[in-house]
Amino acid sequence: MGARVVVESVRKAWGLVPEAGEGAVSEALAGVSFSLEPGDFVALLGPSGCGKSTLLNLLGALDRPTSGRVLVDGHDLALLSDAGRDLYRRRTAATVFQFFNLLPTMTSLENVALPLLLDGVPPAEADERAAAALGEVGLPEKSGAFPWQLSGGQMQRVAVARALVAKPSLLLADEPTGNLDSRSGARVLDLVSDLVAGRGVTIVLATHSTEAAARAARVLRLRDGLLEA
Amino acid sequence: MSRVAPLLGPLLFRPLRRDRLRFALTVAGIAVGVATMAAILLANASVLASFSATVDVVAGKAGLTVLPDGPGIPEETLERLAWLRARGVTVVPAVVATAALKGGNGDVVEVLGIDPVTDPAVRDYRFTSRLDAEETTLGRLFAVFQRNSVLVPAPLAERLGLTEGSELGVFAGGAVRRLRVAGILRLEGAARAAAGSVVFADIATAQELFAREGFLDRIDLVVPGDLDEAQRSALEESVRNSLPAGVTVGRPDRRTATVDRMVRSFRVNLTALGLIALLVGTYFVYSTLSISVLRRRSDIGTVRALGASSRSVFLVFLAEGAALGVLGSLLGLVLGAGMAKAALAAVGGTATDFYLPQAAPSLALEPRALAIAFLAGLLTSILSALAPALEAAHVDPASTFRHGSVEASRRRAVKPLAIAGAFLLLLGALATRPGPVGGLPLFGFAAVFLVVAGVSLLAPFAVTTVARHGDRLAVRLLGVEARIARANLTGSLSRTAVAVAALSMGISMMVAVAVMVGSFRATVVDWVSQTLKADLFVAPEGGRSQRALGRLPEEVVTLLERVPGVASVDPFLSFEATRDGVPFTVGSGRFALVAAHGDLPMADGSDTRAVLARALSQGEAVVSEPYAVKFGVRTGDLVTLPAVDGPATLRIAGVYRDYSNDRGTITIDRALFRRLFRMDGAVSLALRLDPAISPEEGRRRILSATRDRFALRVQTNASLRDAALALFDRTFAVTYALEAVAIAVAVLGVFSTLLALVLERRREIGLLRVLGASAARVSRAVRYEAAALSALGIALGVFAGAAMGWILIHVVNKQSFGWTIRTDVPWAFLAGALALVALATLAAAGRPARLAAATDAAAVLKEE
Repeated sequence: MGARVVVESVRKAWGLVPEAGEGAVSEALAGVSFSLEPGDFVALLGPSGCGKSTLLNLLGALDRPTSGRVLVDGHDLALLSDAGRDLYRRRTAATVFQFFNLLPTMTSLENVALPLLLDGVPPAEADERAAAALGEVGLPEKSGAFPWQLSGGQMQRVAVARALVAKPSLLLADEPTGNLDSRSGARVLDLVSDLVAGRGVTIVLATHSTEAAARAARVLRLRDGLLEA
Repeated sequence: MSRVAPLLGPLLFRPLRRDRLRFALTVAGIAVGVATMAAILLANASVLASFSATVDVVAGKAGLTVLPDGPGIPEETLERLAWLRARGVTVVPAVVATAALKGGNGDVVEVLGIDPVTDPAVRDYRFTSRLDAEETTLGRLFAVFQRNSVLVPAPLAERLGLTEGSELGVFAGGAVRRLRVAGILRLEGAARAAAGSVVFADIATAQELFAREGFLDRIDLVVPGDLDEAQRSALEESVRNSLPAGVTVGRPDRRTATVDRMVRSFRVNLTALGLIALLVGTYFVYSTLSISVLRRRSDIGTVRALGASSRSVFLVFLAEGAALGVLGSLLGLVLGAGMAKAALAAVGGTATDFYLPQAAPSLALEPRALAIAFLAGLLTSILSALAPALEAAHVDPASTFRHGSVEASRRRAVKPLAIAGAFLLLLGALATRPGPVGGLPLFGFAAVFLVVAGVSLLAPFAVTTVARHGDRLAVRLLGVEARIARANLTGSLSRTAVAVAALSMGISMMVAVAVMVGSFRATVVDWVSQTLKADLFVAPEGGRSQRALGRLPEEVVTLLERVPGVASVDPFLSFEATRDGVPFTVGSGRFALVAAHGDLPMADGSDTRAVLARALSQGEAVVSEPYAVKFGVRTGDLVTLPAVDGPATLRIAGVYRDYSNDRGTITIDRALFRRLFRMDGAVSLALRLDPAISPEEGRRRILSATRDRFALRVQTNASLRDAALALFDRTFAVTYALEAVAIAVAVLGVFSTLLALVLERRREIGLLRVLGASAARVSRAVRYEAAALSALGIALGVFAGAAMGWILIHVVNKQSFGWTIRTDVPWAFLAGALALVALATLAAAGRPARLAAATDAAAVLKEE
């Protein structure tokens, strides 16, 4: 079951910009509002610097808005305690990054099992579920490989497996194909739209690629921190 | 070089600014190691310089010096050398002794008995009071010298509040002798002997004070200045042919060589320990530079892609190592000069305790010692930088973004390094077999360093093996943080293995020295309980000196035998001798008494009574273990003694344990000694009391019986044992300090490595937070990593330390000093010390753990 997401008039400002005039601040988000129903697959489309990553950080409880609210399943993320935010990231939201962000000192299996272990799942069960997840993304034979032994596409598929293994209700994908060739990128998008969406997970895909955005059921265009009508 | 300069900014200076703390720690680590070396070298140099200065000052203008191999030069030797006067040679006799002063701090001084007529030809004397118009120094010397008069250097006179005509009390021959101060000398010329702790009397006074009638201690020959080398050598040969047996002639500086040999083993051992402290510090350089190369791989790849040569990159990183070495060594010299005073107090104290009590070493900032310490720090830093610099030079620009490929190559090296490490350990075992080289245990030292190197190379293997086999259990017991820690340990092997190796090196040194000193102490305690069985021990009053000074007259022996309650008296009589410049002692005791009580444990476990009974009946000798090792003799061999009537050859009946000194002693029965050397009296006496008399009562009776005539030091068995062990503990105080230094530097190394690893892994730490790891979990993972580093370092260190301890006991000590030491591990001390190290390492993880916990995940993941 996917998460219900409501973003209300969210602003995110970054400190003072003197050259813009006295008191002027830089705003990554200037008042964004939208909502997602469970299972929605939405693309955030916009050029670099438009605020996509900032918005994903807010949805991932990695950051707090300057004003406005981000509600996931009715809970205001900004009001969560530190422990609550950690729990949210373990169980509700999962992220796939442009640069894969696998731990280089762990094998594929260990990388995928990590979220489960962080959540207290016994090691044997965690490894079993991680192996199954790797199988689902088509990499069962790579469980013992370290990230530097994998291609870019393979690393991203491991990252997708890691994101899915804890059965999140919200998947945040930040330019997941940005560092891949078109064929690998297409394969990753297939995984996201077929494997992930097929489970009813709510997906937010940040991208500057219209081809990638076309995979989503709905596209939200972001420019200079605001959603275009 | 112009191709290197543009690289210095991006590859050296800017990264240095970014990693200020880590580089400061590295410089500190080198500085501590260099400071330790410098302090020890300066202390050693100061001790030797003060001894040598005395030798040089006393030798004065002498071209040749006649010295005894035995108890003294018979006075009739002067007649044998009378022909020299016709050749224009001045013959200058002297008596040399050591005595304690009554009053002041119980100072110990050298007493030089001179012939005021001839002595000014070899030594200079300058009085503080002006000479009269017609007066000469010679005239003043001759005029002031009367019986029981002395000349005193001005600083000593001032310290004791003496002026011309004052009375100076001196302990000599077990009595207080009152001498008149006949003149005060400026601290120049002969007055500089023993750094001014010297008094001058005429020969007859000195002979009478120290019961040396009929004997001299040196005859200096002032040869004409126009002799060339061939003529000088010919003269030397002619003098040699004129001398009686047991007396030699040579250049004055050979005495320096004798003194040097006396303290050499002690100095070399201490220097070797200091070297290990330096090596622990220079592990820092390797670790720091390895981390630098890894962190700057992409920068290196970029500059290489822009056309920089691999040679230029190599030179930049070598320059970094050299810069660290220069900074650390300079700081180390400043620290070392400050520490040298404390080191000198320890080293000098031991040297005067055991070797030359009249010497008062003062700190000399000897440039050579400072230069050696500086160069040692610089060279080891540059050597440590070689491997990382070579690695940097071979960075393939195409692979700089593949983080794991570097560590993969490290993992491939684990097995070859382990094999190399095992091979070095085997070589180390083999290196324990050969004997000493020039009296020094060079192969023993090599074995110690091979063990250290071998275990260091085994560190990566230990890390990967423990990680592989311990992962499941660790995760089950400690949670996912243990897996993260394990992954970091093996994933950053080039850093973590070096930190483990450095920590193990410091710990191995601590364990080795603790085992060696603990075993030595236990052996000495056993030996003391076996040999010091008498109730009371009597010696001449010696002021501050721990050694017995001078000889008590025979009258004291007789007097003590008559004290009510004294059951037996065993007088010990001895003198210092040399053979081919190597010093040893010739001593005596009442073998019948010693045999009755079994007070002399034999090295091979033979029955003491049987050995001494044979020695007594056959006129044979027993030798101490240090003597047997130093001169390469054993039971059944022959030794030659410089008897008064000519060399006396005796068979060795047995070798006994003796930990009182490392000089080596030949001991014969008292009656034989008196016959061969025409000496009586005693240097010290061991008394047994009737059972009904307590030691305190016995002491009281002896002092009461001798108070009016003699000044004696009477110690009970308990107080002498305590004094012996206190002396032992003081001797090893400096080694305890060295252990602490090595450990401190190694723990600093762990801190520095952990800090670097946390800074390097900021993205991964950010990712863990994204995956839902709490700040506390991230912090715990760092602490678990520190605990694992600590545990591995301790395990390897204990293993290496045990091996090194064995080598120190059975090879280095044995070959340096000749002592047999039984292994006795101080378990309680080691457990406590290792627990402290573990705690210190965990504490060192505090800051890196807090840094990790405070990582802003969003910020670090934004950085591309």
